Amino acid sequence: MLKILDFFDYAKSESLWMAHFCTGCCSLEMAAAMGPRYDWERYGYLPTPTPRQADVLMITGLVSKKILPALLRTYAQMPEPKYVVAMGACSFDGGPYNDSLSVIKNPTEILPADVFIAGCPPKPEAIIEGLEQVKQKIKNGEPSAASQGGLWKEMEF
Amino acid sequence: MIDTLFSAFVFPGLLYVLVWTVGLFWFFRKFMAALHKRVGPSFNGKAGSYQTLFDLSKLLTKESITPDGVNPYLFSIMPLLAVIIAMLPAAFIPWMDGLVVVDSDYGLLALVILIGIEPFLLFLTGFGSNNKYSFLGGVRILTQSISMETAFFLSALSPALLFGTMNLTQIVEQSSWFSFLILFPGLAMYFVALLGLLEQPPFNIPDAEQEIVYGFYTEYSGTNYFLLKLAEFAEFMAVFAGATALFLGAYKGIFFDSYFFFFMKMLGIAMLMMTIRAATPRITLAQMLSFSWKYMVPLALLNLAWVLFAKSLWFMGA
Amino acid sequence: MENVRKIIENFTCEYVENYKKTWLKAKLSSKDDLLNLSEAIKKEGLRSLSTVSPTDFLEDNIMEMNYFFEDLDTKRNLWLKVDLPRDKEGCKIESLTPLFASANWHEREAFSMFGVQFLNHPDLREIIKSEDFKGVYPFRKDFDWDAHEKNQTQNIQQIVDAFKKEQNENEKDLDPDSSETILNWGPTHPASGPIRLRVHCDGEEVISIDPDIGYVWRALEHLVTKKDFVGAIVAVERLCFMDNINSMVGYCMAVEEIAEVEITPFASWMRVLLGEVARVSSHFMGLGGFFNNMGLHTLGMWNMDTREFFLDFLESYSGARIATASIEPGGVRYGLDMSMFDELQKALDKFDNSVGEVEAVFVKNPTMKLRSDNVGILTKEEVHEFGLSGIVARASGVKTDIRIDEPYAAYGELDLEYITQEKGSAKDRFMMLFLDLKQSVEIIKKAKAHIEKAVADAKMNPTKDHMVKVPKKLPKGEAISRVEWARGEVLMHLVTEEKAKTPYRLKMRAPSFNHTMMLNHLLKGQTLADIPLIFGSLYICQGDLDR
Ligand code: SF4
Repeated sequence: MLKILDFFDYAKSESLWMAHFCTGCCSLEMAAAMGPRYDWERYGYLPTPTPRQADVLMITGLVSKKILPALLRTYAQMPEPKYVVAMGACSFDGGPYNDSLSVIKNPTEILPADVFIAGCPPKPEAIIEGLEQVKQKIKNGEPSAASQGGLWKEMEF
Repeated sequence: MIDTLFSAFVFPGLLYVLVWTVGLFWFFRKFMAALHKRVGPSFNGKAGSYQTLFDLSKLLTKESITPDGVNPYLFSIMPLLAVIIAMLPAAFIPWMDGLVVVDSDYGLLALVILIGIEPFLLFLTGFGSNNKYSFLGGVRILTQSISMETAFFLSALSPALLFGTMNLTQIVEQSSWFSFLILFPGLAMYFVALLGLLEQPPFNIPDAEQEIVYGFYTEYSGTNYFLLKLAEFAEFMAVFAGATALFLGAYKGIFFDSYFFFFMKMLGIAMLMMTIRAATPRITLAQMLSFSWKYMVPLALLNLAWVLFAKSLWFMGA
Repeated sequence: MENVRKIIENFTCEYVENYKKTWLKAKLSSKDDLLNLSEAIKKEGLRSLSTVSPTDFLEDNIMEMNYFFEDLDTKRNLWLKVDLPRDKEGCKIESLTPLFASANWHEREAFSMFGVQFLNHPDLREIIKSEDFKGVYPFRKDFDWDAHEKNQTQNIQQIVDAFKKEQNENEKDLDPDSSETILNWGPTHPASGPIRLRVHCDGEEVISIDPDIGYVWRALEHLVTKKDFVGAIVAVERLCFMDNINSMVGYCMAVEEIAEVEITPFASWMRVLLGEVARVSSHFMGLGGFFNNMGLHTLGMWNMDTREFFLDFLESYSGARIATASIEPGGVRYGLDMSMFDELQKALDKFDNSVGEVEAVFVKNPTMKLRSDNVGILTKEEVHEFGLSGIVARASGVKTDIRIDEPYAAYGELDLEYITQEKGSAKDRFMMLFLDLKQSVEIIKKAKAHIEKAVADAKMNPTKDHMVKVPKKLPKGEAISRVEWARGEVLMHLVTEEKAKTPYRLKMRAPSFNHTMMLNHLLKGQTLADIPLIFGSLYICQGDLDR
């Protein structure tokens, strides 16, 4: 019995599907990561058209104020267990848009991310490495960061 | 008893369909990736062969969301029903010499009807999803299947007319290189209609990502989505197997007869389908409709006339 | 040009002067003349209004309006200014939208950002801004951003509430007996990117479309005023990352004009070379996107494969694949190691090897033609009326290309020809993109050969010639510059103060803004299936749409 459960846990970690959601210019490099040279499908990542079938939400760079509700709703629509990956300088502290008031400087305070991928934009190799870390996190049985806290729980959206 | 259980759960039942789903899903991804100049799944198992196994098992363990405001029965029963209906045709197919679960004189009819019901179930899944995109997807699949099924039925009829029987086993037994040539137009038409029925490009209108998100799949997650995927692949199998049995002589091989040839023929159809998929954009609903009614149906009727003519010419005495 | 000048001189002006080769610059004394003047010059042939750009002079207490009129056929352009009082009551001017359809959104933008009221505007709603800026005008110089930031949590809650309200109530006004519904095409839609189209539809048929934009609004035009002249390139290049080089070129040209600096021939050739590499990589995405929107990803993947080689060159030159920041006021940022050209040669070879199969499988694809030959047709007239530019305009047969009309960098020394298509359908725009791509590659080859030859002849020094010094502080002045960006014409309007260290105002006119305006016009009465196709064929980037 234990073996079978283990198998399912392992399967969960090895198959990450992404919700399709572009918020910033980092999504360009995400497209490159899907492309022939980097081909993240080798590792089993797959983009899905709807959040209902996704395991990972990628915050691709900046989160502007206007798109935040849509981001949170997309997150809410995903089935458990779900993880968040934050890409780029913008999703950490606003990056180049730190001075701009229409960009949220700390989106991960609202929706905590499991893994940050550094860079502006991160190179495709880095994106794949970041996703590998999510896999590791699932293998270790750690709960996702967003389920542990974050302002999104207090907001109604 | 044991036999029945074996055919229900192992071959050509549940296990066979599961293995087929996992395998074909993997094969699709790998083949598509090659056409994309990519590699495809590669790190889990040999050439990524475990990847789809993991994907599908993961879906089983994920949360199955039933969204607010849907009819829960319609929403969750339909996928199950879709799987069952999609798996039934396998029982009528002569997989090997003498291996057919239900050897009926109306095998062809059963096959065609079971394949024909499937889109209506999918329509109901879209209808029950309480989502505008799902609903649009459902309506589209209904429109498409009604117009494509006519041509599909007509072209599937041509072997029955030629051999004068609806029994699939007999059709296979009587088939030969010569009959293959006569039936070739029918096969071509069957293939085009198959693309329409299976929602493959250029007829992937019902689940057109860029237009209506994911059609009737939009709201499905977890186990329910898994069931729908299973139904989709079982449907692939039914239609491919149908083509193989009707036109390509099923298990008949070059030096010896075996299941191996059946499989290779199905794979050949799948590969042709994927290649078309990689090079053809989607057409619109209106174009599909006019294509189906203006060209497909009349051509399918003409094909029947041709088969009758050929029969009277070469097959009458025999 | 003389005719235009005569027309303007019929009205009382503070000055009328020639500016650059193709421009006339004039300032009206009274705002009441604006409508009559524009009507007269429209008759003369200046039929497109490129953009409307207010500049807020806090100390003089005036709001200066800048109008940029263009004639795409004869290449005569007019830069018209007029002063308005700054206070909220008096800041009113007659709208030009009834005369120039292209003014519509530009005036809405000026209204939302600066609070300029346009009288008789058919649809003066706020645009781009998020909900927390409702009723306040963030680009006015006296807007207190810090105070606004203090309430951040509250602001966010306000936005979230408004979003919820909108989602719940957006269908309230519809007739309950009809089958009309509203679809939200975006911002999480697989093909949309961060833009939302509110699609009023009846089953498969589209009744009307109301684009809701601003999902990637970063207030770039305001952001540059917080940075120095060199730092501002970071904001400018993020106009849209697909073709970042050319937008930097435009900005740097404006700065150089104010600083009165001439760049070296080497730098100007490098600008051509890098700019075309960026254009190529953008067009690759555009071509792929067009097919993606019809449900076919193969071309996107194949293009991505070739594009990587061009990015390799950018990476070897600047250290970054995309965010190169490699054009700076005064030239280009880095010197060139000639061995970097090997990377470029690899990319060019790769392109030459792969373009044939792309042409055979996709450009000649019969299904694509069947699908897109008769949808989204833009006539020449509409191109003029809505101020479209770039490949969209050329696909309709309008001969416009800033690289030829108003040569900048080293484009004057290249023999370029207009490439056009006739019909202006979605297919023609795709063909246009493909031909443009080929032309760009040819330009890269020429530029590369030129640089190599000049270096071999010791006419250029690739490690030293790349920069001329530009003073840190600029004099008071203003300048406009236009570049042919991958998506069309980008017009930069830069204003500086005395001894300025930062730009006072930078207006970036971006082509996608006009192109998105066309969506409703093109899609009315079409089916849902045409939305992604036409959207993709207009080659819109959300980055420069919102800025
Ligand atoms: S981190 Fe850089 S590339 Fe990513 S969204 Fe921000 S500015 Fe764009």
